[in-house]
Amino acid sequence: MNIQYKWTLREILICAVLGAVFGVLYLAWVQVWLIAQAIFGAVTMDVVMGFWFIVSIIAAAIIRKPGAALFSEVLAAAVQVMLGSPAGLLLLLTGFIQGAGAEVVFAARKWRDYRLPVLMAAGVGAAIFSFIYTWIRFDYGALAPGLLIAMFVLRCLSGALLGGLLGHWVTEALYKTGVLSGLPIDRARRGAHA
Amino acid sequence: MPDSEPVAAWQQASVRYPYQQRVAVGPVTIVQRQGERLLLLGASGSGKSTLLNTLTGLVPATIPAEVTGEIRLFGETVDERSPAEWAAHVAQLFQDADQTLCGMTVEDEIAFALENMALPEPEIRARVARAIEAVGLPLEAASRRTMRLSGGEKQLVAMAAALAQESPVFVADEPTAHLSPAAAARLRALMLHENRPQSLLLVDHRLDGLIEHVDRIVVLGPDGMVVAEGDPAETFRAHGRRLDDLGVWRPLASQLDAELSVAGLAPVDPPPCIAEMLAHLDRLSEEAKPLAAAIVEGFVARRLRHGTEVGPPLAQLEDAACAPLFGPVVLNGVSLEVRAGEVLGLVGSNGAGKSTLGASLAGLLRLKGGRREGPAGGMAFQNPENQFVTGTVADELQAAVSPSTGPEAQQKAAELIRRWRLHGLEQHHPYELSQGQKRRLALATLTATERWPMLVLDEPTAGLDAAGAQAVVAQIESLTETGHGIVVITHDMDFALAVCDQVAILGEGGIMAQGPVRQLLGDRPLLSRAGLEPPALMPVIEWRARVSC
Amino acid sequence: MAGAGLMLSAVHPLTKLVICLLWVAASILVFSASLQLFIIGTAVFVLVLLERRSPLMVMALMVPFALFGFGFLTTSVLFRQESDFALQMAREAPLGSEALSAGVVLFLRAIACGMASAVFVLTTDPGAFVKALMVNWRLSPRIGYALFSALQLVPDLAAEAQQVRLARSMKAGRPPRRVPGPLETASLVIPLLAFAIRRASRAAVALEARGLSAGRPRTVIGAPVFGRSDIAFGAMALALLVVALVVVA
Repeated sequence: MNIQYKWTLREILICAVLGAVFGVLYLAWVQVWLIAQAIFGAVTMDVVMGFWFIVSIIAAAIIRKPGAALFSEVLAAAVQVMLGSPAGLLLLLTGFIQGAGAEVVFAARKWRDYRLPVLMAAGVGAAIFSFIYTWIRFDYGALAPGLLIAMFVLRCLSGALLGGLLGHWVTEALYKTGVLSGLPIDRARRGAHA
Repeated sequence: MPDSEPVAAWQQASVRYPYQQRVAVGPVTIVQRQGERLLLLGASGSGKSTLLNTLTGLVPATIPAEVTGEIRLFGETVDERSPAEWAAHVAQLFQDADQTLCGMTVEDEIAFALENMALPEPEIRARVARAIEAVGLPLEAASRRTMRLSGGEKQLVAMAAALAQESPVFVADEPTAHLSPAAAARLRALMLHENRPQSLLLVDHRLDGLIEHVDRIVVLGPDGMVVAEGDPAETFRAHGRRLDDLGVWRPLASQLDAELSVAGLAPVDPPPCIAEMLAHLDRLSEEAKPLAAAIVEGFVARRLRHGTEVGPPLAQLEDAACAPLFGPVVLNGVSLEVRAGEVLGLVGSNGAGKSTLGASLAGLLRLKGGRREGPAGGMAFQNPENQFVTGTVADELQAAVSPSTGPEAQQKAAELIRRWRLHGLEQHHPYELSQGQKRRLALATLTATERWPMLVLDEPTAGLDAAGAQAVVAQIESLTETGHGIVVITHDMDFALAVCDQVAILGEGGIMAQGPVRQLLGDRPLLSRAGLEPPALMPVIEWRARVSC
Repeated sequence: MAGAGLMLSAVHPLTKLVICLLWVAASILVFSASLQLFIIGTAVFVLVLLERRSPLMVMALMVPFALFGFGFLTTSVLFRQESDFALQMAREAPLGSEALSAGVVLFLRAIACGMASAVFVLTTDPGAFVKALMVNWRLSPRIGYALFSALQLVPDLAAEAQQVRLARSMKAGRPPRRVPGPLETASLVIPLLAFAIRRASRAAVALEARGLSAGRPRTVIGAPVFGRSDIAFGAMALALLVVALVVVA
């Protein structure tokens, strides 16, 4: 199967609008997180975190080119910053790191495999990178080890489910609407049936 | 007069999209000469836009497809350059400005294509200023944000951007489709301005007011091949019946010409516009006039609505203040009523609040003042996709016939499929349907049960060809016969004339006038105050009234 | 300070970006409550006095940052374990408990980073920023205009969402609430994504039809230029930061 690595303008724009739409949804999810945190306490951030990886997985599954996961996550962060996200400019860094985590998994599969297990693994990848980053940023070294393990496991699960599985469902539903025709996901699906 | 050097030529060109069995268009052989104004016509699905997109190679470079045959632009084969490189010589105007704007300010938008040509900044600014002036916008408009513009203004900016390119070829794909009549006329005038030396390649449906300025037409059939071509008036005369069968729009003058021909009263030269046709009728001998008048009478009668019996009011607004969802009030002092068996038309320029009023009449929007009486109504939205909630056509219909379940529901759904001609589409996703199919599906879901006796149809003919629009007229008639009350929002004045009993003209923050459709749509000062134009049929009606005196 | 109002809008976006990022970096790398307070104070000063924004708005801006930071405060207080690093911090803490004081610093840091970012975002026009990136940092024009297109999309997304909600409310027989609930939002995602993707596909065709391509040189009109205000602003901001760091250290 021939993979073209060059991005078409359509694919760039789709990545950009995915980033825009999910940038808005991510901001809404922050509200969910803050409310849940008020009720349930400390580890809620790890439980809800997976949703913030979802655009990288959807973009990669649709566009299937190197950089899709990274680019879409950074763009979503940029849109959030411009719309006034409470995390500010640093969100760009967070987005970059989360996107990189997912990108690494897709790279390991040579950007050819987008089946559900790989998508979920990409969610876990993003979770791991995110965990390392927040460890440094928020000084996790000073927290109790039991708590740390719980946070890590929850975050990986969240990445796999809210990022990978949910991302898969969204991509499937989107594919059925027919708007993805002509994109690499469409070519791959039809090529498989040919 | 056009030169003899071809500027664009398609030689046995055909286009096939990936994974499609059928060819989208072709094989066609068309030649456009320098300075010529060429109009492409055809029914929906005949591949007109596809053909337009092959001119600069957008198909296949940007829109993947298989292209066979030879396509030449300025003598070179199109694939020798990328579409972006051809852009320096070909300006393109698309249907929906919303989808093509990319600049943050008006100035950026107009300058975009010029920036891509790497012109120096002073030259760009000079051209931008000229373009803004040419479209009639004030110079201060340059710094306005494009996001704040109305739909009509956006298309005007897109036009300015295309004009600023000052290119020898101008291509436009239904540029006036979403514009109100006055805005459409303005855009058309800009495109067809006499002293432009450009070659013009145009796809459009709104022919009245356009045909007399076009040099040649090419008609594509449903299989994507050329059915007829030549001088507009002559082609319409020679192939009129065939075009009607194919569902292609014909100018009113041509339709009247066909009927008069049968009685031998048509002019020798086919008339390019209604005004000339009527002038010809005035010149007829005294013996021929009554026959002509009778033919005209029949012609007009078939294009007007003959109301059914009108029943009790289904929805009433009293001194209402209407606002869009979570938005400020746009209409004040609205008092309207919709009766069973009656069709009320809402017309007005872009942004006058037609959709808001329609939704308020249906009870979907809360009024900010005044009262609404009557049961809730249903609405067929401008974008039919907005009201589809499930993943297949079959599921949509199932949801629509609820609360019926089981075999009874199956039967009702099958009945709907039959009635609205949705065979074979049951497993498709609603978004995959053609525009006409989507609208039929929307209407099917709205009329499945007795839940909504009043229906509001928002721009039901947008994107449809003549056959599709005729079908809508028939659907509305049958709905009124079953006692529904219908509200139609449209900017197609002839459609309004054909389908409505009453009409309300919106403008100036409220309803400027309401009353019988024939009377209001003939009131030219009123229409021009509202930013509208009279229907193309109106001069004919007026002639008839004059002659019978 | 004549003409100081809206002075920041005259500064080149990239200068502002670099300076704000340096302040954010300082906020993160230096674990000191007083530095965070200083940053917050400077940001408020800039926004209220130099940029003439309403103090109420600036206070309101801090609320989401504060909520964000509050989470760190509670986590820290509840779960922090003893460590040398923590004890060291506690010695310098004005408040008794070392866990509380570390938490307070994290809380203030969230606000400080947020406010420093806010200074950038509120004083920079997104169009000018993207143009600056294209001209000075060689951002590919395809990406730049993709960003513009995406920005244009956002208000239209809102309008489209409203139409969809109105249609749904018609079927449900109930008028829509002001803010959509979680289930409703979830059901809007696919239609809005389909809308956005279709728009992106058409915009791509239109942009290429107007000559956008990769790799070819192009002019950019109205791009921000570096000037004296950049030197003045940069020098002042850096000097201030250095002084603050020296004082705190």
